Amino acid sequence: MKTLRRFLSPLLILALVLGSVSVSAAPLPTSELISTQAALSAERADADRERINEILSRAEVQEQLIAQGVDLAEVDARVAALSDEEARQMAEQLEQLPAGAGVVGALLVVFIVLLVTDILGLTNVFPFTR
Amino acid sequence: MQGRIDRPLRNARLAGVLLLGLLLLTGCATTPRLAESTAQALPRQAWVEDVPFHAQREYQCGPAALAMTLNHAGVDVPMETLIPQVFIPGREGSVQPEMLATVRRHGRIPFVLNDSFDALLTEIATGHPVVVLQNLSLPAWPMWHYAVAIGYDLDARELMLHSGEEAKRIESFRRFDATWARSDRWAFVALRPGELPSGIGEQRALQAIAAFEQVQGAEATLPAWVAFVERFPHSGMGYFALGNARHATGDLEGASEAFRSAVAQRDDLGVAWLNLGLTLQAQGNIGEARQALERAVALPGHWQAHATAALERLSSGD
Repeated sequence: MKTLRRFLSPLLILALVLGSVSVSAAPLPTSELISTQAALSAERADADRERINEILSRAEVQEQLIAQGVDLAEVDARVAALSDEEARQMAEQLEQLPAGAGVVGALLVVFIVLLVTDILGLTNVFPFTR
Repeated sequence: MQGRIDRPLRNARLAGVLLLGLLLLTGCATTPRLAESTAQALPRQAWVEDVPFHAQREYQCGPAALAMTLNHAGVDVPMETLIPQVFIPGREGSVQPEMLATVRRHGRIPFVLNDSFDALLTEIATGHPVVVLQNLSLPAWPMWHYAVAIGYDLDARELMLHSGEEAKRIESFRRFDATWARSDRWAFVALRPGELPSGIGEQRALQAIAAFEQVQGAEATLPAWVAFVERFPHSGMGYFALGNARHATGDLEGASEAFRSAVAQRDDLGVAWLNLGLTLQAQGNIGEARQALERAVALPGHWQAHATAALERLSSGD
């Protein structure tokens, strides 16, 4: 992941710099409005650096999802449906995000503790305690 | 002799330590309290009709919860389609950002609710099933679980959920809140563009709709912006977004009207003056276009350079 970032960062910075140069050199077509998303992200500080991070984040999320066994045919569409902020969150902490599954891998000690907390009404692991 | 007297004492002490440990481990669970105004406004009982139940297969409460809420919102998608779209095999589960992203892919807007019991019950009373993330176990051995809250009874202090393999499961408010609090009370509703959750904040709604527009485009999002400015009539950014969506669908007249409302609400919104100027120019209204662009040029900020360039183009007669 680090190497990908190191490799992509300069390229993206270059692309963005060239992009903004061409904007001031060759004028935009008159119909080109500023999009809502661009205006919202510009309201935050450091808009340009954030854009670079967002593009990097998406590449990283894509890599991570493939590593986690997600179907290659699905990865593009899954990443595209994330908002910029969600993409950043996924890239930074996919391992720490809670993954809803509804199953617990329990040891015996854990089993007993959870049984007690279930009876106390603090948890809800075993259906028969209700 | 000594030992025999000590034993019960030691046992009591051990039990005390265990109990204390348990309390520290779990935090203190109390019955959730509603704000007085919410308790007054809500019906004593409410449930959402017609939420189909999909029993989860192993690990797949995420796709199941999504299928239930999307089906209720009028999207005819089976759970089998959702599994490869949201489930992460390596994590044996589904994560929150992708739950929201999948809702967007199916043409509904996911709104994350504020983390309160009030918001949860209010949405149910409005007729929206609510997807909740619970940790059914303890923080040390988490058992993350998505369920769909579909009803409540204030007098019995009980919540009704489609959860796991059980339809219409009844959970006490207290037990539910103990498990829900461990996800910082994360919950969302999936709504048609044009509908908004009742208690949603302006920024939260704005971000949710803008994220949806990025995926589904302006035309699908237009009704959501209309509903947004109806709910938040003083939001300059709301009218700005509405103007952009109208412009993208070819409604220049409507777009310039919305941009005018945007700057009427927020005179310092340079980007709205800029888009107003460009739209008026495209309509052939050069005089007013110039005024709007001049205003945009005068406002410091991110879009000043764009505005200057646009004004120069207008003056050179392109």
